[in-house]
Amino acid sequence: MAASISGYTFSSVCYHSANSNSDHEGFLLGEVRQEETLSISDSHIGSSEFLSVIEVHNHEPCAKLFSFYDYAGNINEEDLNRILKDRRKNVIGWYRFRRNTEQQMSFREQVIHKQLTHILGIPDLVFLLFSFISTANSSTHALEYVLFRPNRKFNQRISLSIPNLGNTSQQEYKVSSVPNTSNNYASVIKEHGAEFFDKDGVMKDIRAIFQVYSALQERVQAVCGEVDQSERVREKIQEEVNKLKDEIALRKRNAAEEERTLQEETNAPVTLPDDSALHDPSQSTLTGAVLSSSPLSEPSLERPVNSSSPQLYNTTLPPDSPNAILLPRPQAVGSPGHPSPGLGLGNGDGSSSDSLNRQATGQEDQEDDDDGDSSEYENLVSEQLQPSSGTEAVSLGRPATLWPDGDAHSPPGS
Amino acid sequence: MSSLSPEVALSRIYPELRLLLCTVIRNGRVGLDSSNCLRITDLKSGCTSLMPGPSCDRFKIHIPYAGETLKWDIIFNARDPALPPDFIFGEDADFLPEPSELTHLVSWDAGKPECLLLLVKEMLQQYHQYQCQRLRDSSRLLFEYDSLLEDPNYGRSMEIYAGRKNSWTGEFSARFLLKLPVDFSNIPIYLLKDTSLDPGEDVALLSVSFEDAEATQVFPKLYLSPGIEHALGGPSALHIPAFPSGGCLIDYVPQVCQLLTNKVQYVIQGYHKRREYIAAFLSHFGMGVVEYDAVGFTKLTLLLMWKDFCVLVHVVELCSVPVVDLPLYFPRDQPTLTFQSVYHFTSSGQLYSQVQKSYPYSPRWDGNEMAKRAKVYFKGFIPQFQDGAFANGKL
Repeated sequence: MAASISGYTFSSVCYHSANSNSDHEGFLLGEVRQEETLSISDSHIGSSEFLSVIEVHNHEPCAKLFSFYDYAGNINEEDLNRILKDRRKNVIGWYRFRRNTEQQMSFREQVIHKQLTHILGIPDLVFLLFSFISTANSSTHALEYVLFRPNRKFNQRISLSIPNLGNTSQQEYKVSSVPNTSNNYASVIKEHGAEFFDKDGVMKDIRAIFQVYSALQERVQAVCGEVDQSERVREKIQEEVNKLKDEIALRKRNAAEEERTLQEETNAPVTLPDDSALHDPSQSTLTGAVLSSSPLSEPSLERPVNSSSPQLYNTTLPPDSPNAILLPRPQAVGSPGHPSPGLGLGNGDGSSSDSLNRQATGQEDQEDDDDGDSSEYENLVSEQLQPSSGTEAVSLGRPATLWPDGDAHSPPGS
Repeated sequence: MSSLSPEVALSRIYPELRLLLCTVIRNGRVGLDSSNCLRITDLKSGCTSLMPGPSCDRFKIHIPYAGETLKWDIIFNARDPALPPDFIFGEDADFLPEPSELTHLVSWDAGKPECLLLLVKEMLQQYHQYQCQRLRDSSRLLFEYDSLLEDPNYGRSMEIYAGRKNSWTGEFSARFLLKLPVDFSNIPIYLLKDTSLDPGEDVALLSVSFEDAEATQVFPKLYLSPGIEHALGGPSALHIPAFPSGGCLIDYVPQVCQLLTNKVQYVIQGYHKRREYIAAFLSHFGMGVVEYDAVGFTKLTLLLMWKDFCVLVHVVELCSVPVVDLPLYFPRDQPTLTFQSVYHFTSSGQLYSQVQKSYPYSPRWDGNEMAKRAKVYFKGFIPQFQDGAFANGKL
């Protein structure tokens, strides 16, 4: 159970009490409402808790002590009704103010409370005790208050909160839920309310602001859709670019292979690269990177990169022929000589030997990072400008689907 | 929390409440332990600080009960001094007396000086009932209480304080304070008055603390009022037996009571015996009596003459020295005879004397027989004493 009292009611009670030259008592008026709190945890099990909240809206001070009970604490119901009048149904508790005493219910207070509970028919009647403590030299005074729930075990104490009593700059200013029972207020609102309130009783400004808010929400939703669509288009284009890159790399490698083969056949003194470099996937990747003319930190091969490469690339690879792509090289997927698109190619088990080997040799393939590298694009464009090669380059697409593992790999930078 | 003297306390009380407080402070003796009056402390005011003059109308009252001190808050209102007070029962928050049974609350009369004291007494009676009810947590202790209650000697003069039951260990403790029905009226007045303290009422209280509900740890203690304690020979004069294992109060308390009664009888008898002894010596030695203790009959001095040789005989310490150590064990213990020469001095300037503790004596002799035997002994010993005085003393 929780309890709250409005600031003005609290200050009013304190005012009456502090100005009294003796102990002071009265009744608390308000209501008790039930709050249900639904909490959802990570386990997705929702639990609801019911909390009784006592709200003190007003108070009814007694003119003097013993105004409704006798020396033995027996309550006189007539006197009680005379004090409460038609507010009897709003009583939720009563209070007592005592100076320089313990924060504990006294003998008479307990006797009276039991009877009030029975007479008023409120099982959970509360008792608010104010204690005013002063030091001997009257230099320090403290007003302490405790809300008791005497009908519960061990005379339970409830915390009493006063809304907005605190640093409101750090916390939200709370509107009191105390109903306004003032007749004057009601008549003024009725008279002038039409200027500010619509037929439903809602302030007009609020409705306008809400409309603006709704419009903004719609626009945001629309923009979200546009962004979503553009992102999808971009993704699609990116995918096509990656495929084209792979295609280019493949063709270049094939061209290099063919050239080597031809040279061997003609026994021409050709400076061949080191075997280990040829069989090293990272080196073949680097070769691909050289052919694609992206700026490399360390060109490991001495093979001259010339403009004829694209032509070789073009002549060696037949257009749009899967058979041309599948050159008769008895090499398994993932083997060092396996023509790699250069980036992230798996070994069939999800691992990427290229990336591992790259790390082993200590050389990074910057082709991975140069996803949008303009030089690469320029190569592609220059290839495409050549009549046969450009068309063939475009038409030769989709090398990724031809890889035995079936995966389409895209460079890490995309 | 300092205790104020009654005068200071009264001076701070709101004037119209002083009469009620005066009765409490000066005459407020409640419960079995009525050796001290009720005390009040922590005087506070329920008025604003603008109220002039003494305005204290609420305070704490300290009430001795069953070896504990109850601290209750009493709350008046200076603005309405005719109204009855309210109470806060300190740690006993569960205690709620029945208002209809508090006649001095229902018919509160602020003009009646003893009204507050009587109200406190009525509340204390209900408090006692409340504590007895709490014994129901232990069947063993409840049995002890019920068995004592049936005995009219103890049932009406009993205070019980039941501790809190430890919810973890289940341990429960209680203390019984009983007023022992021993008659102290025949104790010689001089014994009771010989104390620097206000003797108060002569009372013996037996406190029995049960540290556990099964009565395996029981600690009895006997409290005597100052006069009785002095009369019996001091705080260590009487040692009560330990509580027997498996025993119960209804057997133990009468045992302690009997022991105390025997001691008191012994003291009374000793007094009468000494008086008889002195009377017999007066009768036998007549004019030879120089002086004697006419109150306690503990000393007697004779001036005897044998063949022109005068000697003083002091019959002293019919109670052992010092009085505070032992009870009055005469006639069981033999009196000491001190022979003192009126002529001879020791080297330190004192009269030459000899102390005789062994001489013919029997506690079964009556005073007359003791006087006769003493006379015979004097006749036989004085010549020896004379020789010794001449030999060792100087004129």
